[in-house]
Amino acid sequence: MRLLTSAERRYLIKRLEDQHGVEDAFDDLVLIRTGQGRIRATTKETYEAACRLRRVQQVGLYVAKMVKGDVILSIEGSQLLGAAITKNIIELSEEEAEEWMKAAPIERSEKIESRYVIARCGDFYLGSGRVSRDGKIYPQVAKWRRIPEE
Amino acid sequence: MPPQSHDLVRRSMSKIMLSDDLRNYLNRLPDMELDLLLEAYERPLPEAFRVNTLKASEEKILERLKSRGYSIESIPWARHGYVVSGGGDLGKSLEHMLGLIYIQGPVSMAPVEALDPRPGEVILDLCAAPGSKSTQIAQLLRGEGVLVANDISFDRVKALSSNLQRFGVLNCVITLVDGRKYPRFAKGFFDKVLVDAPCSSLGIISKNWGIARAWSIGIVERLSELQRRLILAAFDCLKPGGILVYSTCTLTVEENELVVNWLLENREGARVSEIRLKGLRHRPGITEYNGVRLRDEISKTMRIMPYDNWAEGFYIAKIVKEGG
Repeated sequence: MRLLTSAERRYLIKRLEDQHGVEDAFDDLVLIRTGQGRIRATTKETYEAACRLRRVQQVGLYVAKMVKGDVILSIEGSQLLGAAITKNIIELSEEEAEEWMKAAPIERSEKIESRYVIARCGDFYLGSGRVSRDGKIYPQVAKWRRIPEE
Repeated sequence: MPPQSHDLVRRSMSKIMLSDDLRNYLNRLPDMELDLLLEAYERPLPEAFRVNTLKASEEKILERLKSRGYSIESIPWARHGYVVSGGGDLGKSLEHMLGLIYIQGPVSMAPVEALDPRPGEVILDLCAAPGSKSTQIAQLLRGEGVLVANDISFDRVKALSSNLQRFGVLNCVITLVDGRKYPRFAKGFFDKVLVDAPCSSLGIISKNWGIARAWSIGIVERLSELQRRLILAAFDCLKPGGILVYSTCTLTVEENELVVNWLLENREGARVSEIRLKGLRHRPGITEYNGVRLRDEISKTMRIMPYDNWAEGFYIAKIVKEGG
């Protein structure tokens, strides 16, 4: 667990702007790099408190993951950025949102150029989905987070 | 909910099996109505949840749930807390998976309400897993200040981490430390500390009757020793003027009043403070037990029997560290 270097931070912000149109993402937050390209966000005060403590397992909220230069936003990461996300975003119905949270692929008739999109259902953001060559969108929902199948 | 008729009480008594040791122990407790306790053990606990105001407005989330057929009633003593009936399995709902709600027993929300977290405070939840009370503290901090959620078990910390993530808590630190050792590096660091101590769980037998079968006075004595070490460590982690809430979901005096009394005898600056929670039926802490007189201020602590609210049984004590 370490702070993102300024170069890493600049790269993340740039990718978020290119991928999803977000300007100055996570501007007021401390960003921490953990294993497997995961990025967590927290407040300055929380990070300072963590530095005083022992056997720290985790700090803040998992917001994103870098995979081959792309940014995959977690459900909370996308919720945090919210209305700042303006590009590559798809709107889901309630039924589709339930399917998304089961990690079931979602079909879209329109062509999507980006490798990743963010899903939204009303005011709620559901994280990133990977756009496959067959046109389906595969939700990147962690196994523990999925609605169990009946 | 009013108590049911004596017929039902007798019927329920025939179902629950308490060992002679446990029955004798419970019968010896002052102010104990064993028939009512057995009836409470027979009833399922009410299903309840908190709305996550860190993620969306309360009205919006309640509207969603109502539109899905849930009937919802506010819990008077818990901000953002509701008892729910009807609808589908809340644990498999989209709202739960998105972290818009947190499923938690209604009385289990009371200790954090007694702690009364305020934005900007630095708060330690010493025995935090699986995270119900940690998420409640985080909610009341409203993103300002710091929540430190600690537990001794690596497996339980995983559940804690998942719940804090789902709830969307930015200002949290998770540590994996034996709570008894916390003052070694965090003495006087916190504004408030919650100790929701591991206990013999006699207040939640209706969740799992195995608790009654496994109960023994030996377990209670071992837990009581651990609880004394934990409450002392928690107190030492407080800043002067800080507030400690000690809670358990059990009914034994050894794990409740005797633990708080032990703190009062071992730390001069510890004072018991009154707890005011609207609408929560309870009785004062026991001040005389097995011929031993405890400190009078123990009567300010809260003993909640399962039949007081037809929900979980709990014990809650609020302690102030003098000198702030």
